[in-house]
Amino acid sequence: MAAERNGIGMVDFAFLDWFWLAAFLIIMLISGIRFYRLGKRSEADYFLAGRGLPWWLPASSVYATHTATDTPMWVSGMVYKLGLSGLWYTFYSSWCAIGAFVAAKIFRRSLAYTQAEWQSLRFGGMAGELLRGWIAGWQVFLNMFILGWVGIAMGKVCNFLFQWPPWVGLVVFSSVCAVYVLASGYWGVVMADFQQGVIAFIVIVIVSIWGINVAGGPSGIAEKLHQMGEAGKLNPFNFTGLFGGEFPLAWFITMLFIGVLGGLGMGTAIDWFPEAQRIQSARTVKDASWSIWSGSALVLIRNALWGVAILAFFVIYPDLTEVKNYEMAWFRLGFENLPVGMIGFFFAAIVAIHISTISTHLNLGAVYITRDLYHHYINPEATQKKLVWVGRMGTFLLLLGSFAFGLIMENITEWLIFALWIMAAGVWLPGILQVIWWRFNGWGYLTAWISNLVFSWLVVWVLPAFGVLPELRDYQQFWALMALGALVFIPVTLLTRPEDMDKLVKFYVMSRPVGWWGPVRREAERRGLL
Amino acid sequence: MMKRDWTPREADRWTGADTLAVILSPVIYFLILLGFSMAFMLKVSGFIIVGATVVLTIILAKIINPKLDAISRGYEEKQKEYIEELENKLKWMD
Repeated sequence: MAAERNGIGMVDFAFLDWFWLAAFLIIMLISGIRFYRLGKRSEADYFLAGRGLPWWLPASSVYATHTATDTPMWVSGMVYKLGLSGLWYTFYSSWCAIGAFVAAKIFRRSLAYTQAEWQSLRFGGMAGELLRGWIAGWQVFLNMFILGWVGIAMGKVCNFLFQWPPWVGLVVFSSVCAVYVLASGYWGVVMADFQQGVIAFIVIVIVSIWGINVAGGPSGIAEKLHQMGEAGKLNPFNFTGLFGGEFPLAWFITMLFIGVLGGLGMGTAIDWFPEAQRIQSARTVKDASWSIWSGSALVLIRNALWGVAILAFFVIYPDLTEVKNYEMAWFRLGFENLPVGMIGFFFAAIVAIHISTISTHLNLGAVYITRDLYHHYINPEATQKKLVWVGRMGTFLLLLGSFAFGLIMENITEWLIFALWIMAAGVWLPGILQVIWWRFNGWGYLTAWISNLVFSWLVVWVLPAFGVLPELRDYQQFWALMALGALVFIPVTLLTRPEDMDKLVKFYVMSRPVGWWGPVRREAERRGLL
Repeated sequence: MMKRDWTPREADRWTGADTLAVILSPVIYFLILLGFSMAFMLKVSGFIIVGATVVLTIILAKIINPKLDAISRGYEEKQKEYIEELENKLKWMD
């Protein structure tokens, strides 16, 4: 029953390989669907598993969600090009280091289902409502986009392995996943994530160690890199200068700054939004804190192992110049080197990796549709049964949207990466200020989003195109957008009225934010609420 | 710093334990990525860093867990009431 491989890019499955795949799919479906009865009880069950999970379940979900089909491609691309120093590109998850003990505590105690809902608890009046509507709409779009992005990555993997048209891998596996997300909601997501996270971790360890051994083991890799004149790839701090080159020290410091201090705020990283759902699903504040801390710590350990495995691939195939070839490094290590019967096991694990991400974003997008758009704006008196039904409709809508996105992704990727980047860069500081500074108001935050849209177009595209500004590097864009935005949203904040003190006191007493909240705390103490 | 018997009221205040936690925690993350990547290359320094990371993580838990326990205990008593209040706020512009 050998799994014969007809050269790179073609895998013929034997019976045992198909068996592994079928068995995994069945186990995943059963483990998700069996929570149908729990998921349908209420909106809180369908989207937050009733806020009753011990820390290790959301932690495994954090890990599984952030191990997607495109993740090894991205890590492969960075490490193949830059060596171990490329791993720092994955250090963005370090926001959880501080976030676990600052933002997570505040968000968990707000009880908000979503970040959009949190905005209306923090900010009042029209600005709070506009922010809620905007963030809900943005998140529906973003989750659909991520589903399309990750889905088409799976399509590419299947195309690479079996020569299937890309849409097949996109549609088939996302649809299988949607079955248990539709049935059981977040209960199904988190329970299947636990199982998928365990499978993914085991397989990542097996394949990476296998690949490292094939390349001669760690000492063999180091020796070959020295012989090739590429010993710099072994140095995790192999920067290309202070400001110049592919990976300057200035970019490294900027990434540390963005990642680590971002944990003081909310919405400072794209990953905040799925993590917020996991924080809220934890049974206590302590469980919430340790869930995102340990899930992200596991992500970093995984990245470290991948880094060494990609170095192994580099010494085997040192001359690849096209990204599309070397970004498949980790997949190739597995498919080209695992023994008979393990290929299907490996592919089944890739499916697990893929489905865990898809399930999260299907349910996450649906909570914004249900809680923030339908329940808040359309039908506040809706029954729990109706809300679960809307949640399922929302899930289905996202699934269909993801197919459309996935199929046109090739043409719009550049624009969408730009959109993601600007959303992260210009609202990073306001995302922190809204948590740590009582005087920052809804109009200030709303202005930050709007001004960021304008400035990012100008700084990244328009002004360089007309020669007014030189083309800035990524880290320069970040600092420029942050400074320009602050020139607008800080005056707007100070020139408009502070949030209503009653609202601020309520928010403070419930969530206990950190930072500059003195006037609000004193008012709460005066009212005998603390 | 290593205080173990926090009341929920005390635990709600930002203290030296929080400051130490938000300094230690990013350092641990940094050492995890650095230490494990070097340890997987079988470098002695990698194993030493991983060992230091484990020790620092235990210290972090010792510092912050009693505080998180107290916060969790204090908050859970009020959570039901807060959830009811949250549901009442659902109406647009309420």
